Amino acid sequence: MIDVLDILEPKNTHLLLWVLSLLGIPLISFLLSFFAGNQAPGIATLLIFINLLIATTMCFEFWSSETIIKGEWFATAGRQFTYAFYIDKLTLMMSMVVNFIGLMVHLFSVEYMRKDPCISRYFAYLGLFLFSMLLIVLSHDLLFLFVGWELVGLTSYLLIGFWWKKRKATTAANKAFIMNRVGDLGFLTGLMILFAQFQSFDLEVIKSLMIFSEIEQGQWVTSYLYAGVEIFKSVDGRWLSAAGIALFCGAVGKSAQFPLQVWLPDAMEGPTPVSALIHAATMVAAGVYMLARIFVLLDAQALEVVAIVGAVTAFMAAIAALSQFDIKKVLAYSTISQLGYMVMAMGVGAYTASLFHLFTHAFFKAGLFLTAGIIIHQLHHVESNKVSFDPQDMRVMGGLRKHMPYTFAAFLFCAMALVGLPGFTGFLSKDAILLNVAVWADLKGGGFYIPEVLAFMTVVFTSFYTFRMVFLVFFGENRLTRILGDGQITSQIKEGTRMLLIPACLLAILSISWALGLGFDAQDNWLVRALPTPIYLVPISYAAQSLVDVPDDVFKYLHPLVVSISVALALVGIIIAYFAFKPGAKMERRFTERREPVGALGQISFYHWYQDALYQKLFVQLIIWKSKGFDWIDRHMIDAFVVRFGQLQVIIAHIIKWLDRQVVDGLVHGLTLLVGSVGKIGRSMQTGNIQSQVMLSFLFLILLILIFAF
Amino acid sequence: MEHLLSLLVIVPLVGALVVLLTPNTYAYLYKNIALFSTLLLLALSLYAVYHFNTADAGAFIETSSLQYVEKMEWFRLNLGGLGVIAIDYFVGVDGLNITMVLLSAIVLCIGVLASWNTVEKVKAYFGLYLLLSASVMGCFIALDFFLFYLFFEFMLLPMYFLIGIWGGPRKEYAAIKFFLYTLVGSLFILIVMIGLNQSVYDPIKTAELAGLSTEISIAEVQEQVALGEIAKEQLVKTFHMIFMVDPNNYVPGSLLDRANVSLWMGHPLRSVAFLALFIGFAIKLPAVPFHTWLPDAHVEAPTAISVVLAGILLKIGGYGLIRTAYAIFPDAAFHHGWLIGFLGILAILYGAMNALAQKDLKRLIAYSSVSHMGFVLLGLASMTTEGVSGAIYQMFSHGLIASLLFLLAGVLYDRTGNRYIENYSGLAGIMPVFSIFVGVAFFASLGLPGFSGFIAELFVLIGAFSSASEIGAIPSWMAIVGALGLVLAAAYYLWTFQRMFMGAFWVKEKKWLPSLKDLTIREYLMFVPLIVLIVVFGIFPNLLFQLINHSVDVFVNHLTLWK
Repeated sequence: MIDVLDILEPKNTHLLLWVLSLLGIPLISFLLSFFAGNQAPGIATLLIFINLLIATTMCFEFWSSETIIKGEWFATAGRQFTYAFYIDKLTLMMSMVVNFIGLMVHLFSVEYMRKDPCISRYFAYLGLFLFSMLLIVLSHDLLFLFVGWELVGLTSYLLIGFWWKKRKATTAANKAFIMNRVGDLGFLTGLMILFAQFQSFDLEVIKSLMIFSEIEQGQWVTSYLYAGVEIFKSVDGRWLSAAGIALFCGAVGKSAQFPLQVWLPDAMEGPTPVSALIHAATMVAAGVYMLARIFVLLDAQALEVVAIVGAVTAFMAAIAALSQFDIKKVLAYSTISQLGYMVMAMGVGAYTASLFHLFTHAFFKAGLFLTAGIIIHQLHHVESNKVSFDPQDMRVMGGLRKHMPYTFAAFLFCAMALVGLPGFTGFLSKDAILLNVAVWADLKGGGFYIPEVLAFMTVVFTSFYTFRMVFLVFFGENRLTRILGDGQITSQIKEGTRMLLIPACLLAILSISWALGLGFDAQDNWLVRALPTPIYLVPISYAAQSLVDVPDDVFKYLHPLVVSISVALALVGIIIAYFAFKPGAKMERRFTERREPVGALGQISFYHWYQDALYQKLFVQLIIWKSKGFDWIDRHMIDAFVVRFGQLQVIIAHIIKWLDRQVVDGLVHGLTLLVGSVGKIGRSMQTGNIQSQVMLSFLFLILLILIFAF
Repeated sequence: MEHLLSLLVIVPLVGALVVLLTPNTYAYLYKNIALFSTLLLLALSLYAVYHFNTADAGAFIETSSLQYVEKMEWFRLNLGGLGVIAIDYFVGVDGLNITMVLLSAIVLCIGVLASWNTVEKVKAYFGLYLLLSASVMGCFIALDFFLFYLFFEFMLLPMYFLIGIWGGPRKEYAAIKFFLYTLVGSLFILIVMIGLNQSVYDPIKTAELAGLSTEISIAEVQEQVALGEIAKEQLVKTFHMIFMVDPNNYVPGSLLDRANVSLWMGHPLRSVAFLALFIGFAIKLPAVPFHTWLPDAHVEAPTAISVVLAGILLKIGGYGLIRTAYAIFPDAAFHHGWLIGFLGILAILYGAMNALAQKDLKRLIAYSSVSHMGFVLLGLASMTTEGVSGAIYQMFSHGLIASLLFLLAGVLYDRTGNRYIENYSGLAGIMPVFSIFVGVAFFASLGLPGFSGFIAELFVLIGAFSSASEIGAIPSWMAIVGALGLVLAAAYYLWTFQRMFMGAFWVKEKKWLPSLKDLTIREYLMFVPLIVLIVVFGIFPNLLFQLINHSVDVFVNHLTLWK
């Protein structure tokens, strides 16, 4: 039998310095930047550059091995709690990506945030974010992961609300944090279930014990040793599925999945580079990453839930992206939609495809956000005391291809990767996901074709909204002239500076397949080979049917079909977008006057299925109303009872006082009166008159005789 | 340091005496004397913690591993047929109360700093403050129930005057409400204490009185008593808390003997006694629905007294529950597990919901205290190692965090005399450091990892969840429902932070503007140590866990054995 304490033994602590430096440098950046004032951008960027170098060195050092670093953190009575880090290909690649995109965003922000008076605070937050993100990436202990998880939530809150004087920004920050907390409630529940069963948060312990746990007559049974003491646990088997689903709830919050995805579009109130780093490339992908880490613990039911939630999210968000005016909103919904793809892929068991898409998406989506950032930044420059408009609104754009050609090129590359056109990274990873979903749907049959259909429909919508954006932003004439009636204003729009362009262009280049060395085969390239699907560890009766077991022939047979359908669908989307929004088309011409879409479908898209309005009514107002109700109960019932009880005592005291005076004291008075009057009678007898005395004595004598006689 | 623990009581008492004897012409000395005394207190408790033998700190049920014990007989009453009552001066610490002593010393020091600008009746203020310090310390170190009760009751006196004289507009109301409410609770405790005294004997002193050989072991004495070989007149009844824990020390057939099956209104006597103790301490904790004195007391009390009230006095409720109610009546506690767990989650959710509706910053923090102390109840109700560790951790952590929160609310009140949330907006612009500190305190209180509150609440929750499969005291869903409190905490804190500190700067009264300055050095001195401690205990939980682990282990084993 396994002794948990043996697994918790410290190991490889001599390698701890690697991890500590990788985590420590961003933390130092956080502390230094805070007090560095105007020097902060330089210091922070340099530190992140060093960190990227360390991550690269670690790739060379640890690529071919899987290393667990572990040591004691603290102990309660009888239970050990460790810190644990895991270094394998996945963590190495993740830390490379996080640091690389982090560096790009730092470089970009140097220029983008240059004029902000709080620039040191901004770079400090970025450092804190990278620290907590890397903590999630590296930790191999669910408690540690949760710590990083909550801390990225904090930095996300801080950065969304970075411009704290804007009410919209702070509301969005609150919303993001609280929605994430709701998801974390699930995460916490998952932690509780796993701890109750395995007495540890260490993933190595949980995985080793999970292999030996069994389902017996619907009971989830585990037995193991802890410090030599045998422990036997038997709980309802449904807790196993519940654990998976509960942990997934955490991912639902962080990776903006249905029904908690509403915070992400609002999060666009933060600075645009932050949206690129946190709300597109890295933090929101943490949910998918976490699913990958606990993938082997998810049972069939949990995986089905994951797949369905992912598909629904991908579809819903793609619909919402169709009709937005704000360029960042489009990108935000697109992010939700793509995250839906990744989550769905995890759910169908396509571990590799999901992570593949996570990596490719990180580059092209960060690229899209940074190029959008350039546009916003440059349009913002055009604004002056006299002219004021919303530089994120696509209604003021158009024709920017001529003004900013490099930006256009970068945007177009990333957009083509997002749509999934051959030759771009997104094509390969999306192809892999769609193929796996198709195989999975065939395997399961019945209602499980619905996720597949949703996934394929999302392809059309994705290419439509992406190219709608491309046409509206870059082609035709600039609509500012039309809106403001000022012919001069377009000449003021200039290409972004080199500091802005370099990071964006680098990310655009990395959206091309060959730049990442990926070739043309979605099923066979170095990235896919580096991330093989692990084998489920849950008890066999609860394990999902693994796609690994499906013969290669099925994949080979379906592959050409899936590729051609998805490319065809993407082209259809582009063509529709072209005819609708090409320069001079009816919809393009009317675009400046557009307010909000008419018609039910348009409104559903524009208001994102009215989810926000529903939540506002259903939860926010209800809770505020309830809290007021509780406050009323507290004042007018509980406290009033106490006060009335006290007052009752006073009243009783008064009654007693009255009783005391009238009855008790009255009795005493009565008694004294009685005694007095008796005395008076007695006294009246003591007259000193012999005759009367003799007569009285005689009467008493007769009385006595009478008493004794009868 | 033979009388280390006694010094914890004597130092503030002497301080109070010095304050009283110092003539009013040296009025500026009073606060310095108070500061010096509490700093000395802090030094003494740090010394005690430093030399605390963590390897052998179980105690709870046996006196042998108690540390810094001082024990001498105070007086003795001969009741003839009812035996002899012996009352001891008995103090000592184990893993549980050493943490509380440390917490009290820290908070009391900070409290003096918070009182620095008191101008009215300074002599009386600091005299009473030191008197309060002495009784708080005494309460935590006393292991004789009589002594404990003495300190417990005595605490009310200085507290009553401190709220009633230096408080806000409705100070008399709040002070008397606080006093009477707690007094009612104490009556319940008093009754149980007398009952316990009549049921428990001191085997060592009984052996002495009965003239048994000095080499006789305690077990042999217990056996002789159980067989009725020792005359009733020779039983020495005791208030010794540790002896009360051991079921073998109960006089056979006595009121609270486990074998006694007689009922009172349909309930076993031990069950009734447990509930009486529970109510007594639940008022102090405070648990819903016995909590309404707390918001009033907090709103009216001066800042420093709020800090002491939230930071220390509430903990006495939790401490009393663990030390007496749970340790002495584990059977009844297990029997009422569901009720106590339910009251725990009720406090968590009800407190949080109420906090959401508050308009006064201090009231909000008071209700958040109710919510956070609910975690203590939930953790205790679970009767698991994790749950109990979490409950103790929560008491310590909340002591620091609530102090910080009340101090921060005091900063605003000092400057403007107004604490209404709606009267402020965008304070971050003119008081940046203050705003950062408030932000840190809010996030610490809502249980963000990296702060001590997270460890505490996490352990309470995992303990509450595993209770069902470990011991079966409370069902698993209570943990999940309790965790909802974390979401609500995020909601009320972030909403408050947004309304008061973010957005465009605006305050209701123009005349507040000149006084709205950022923190002074004195305020830094209060906040920085607290924040550092909260972070340190959040990142290195071992610092506290290694003190309490043995005691928790012994305690939970005891609960499991006698449930």
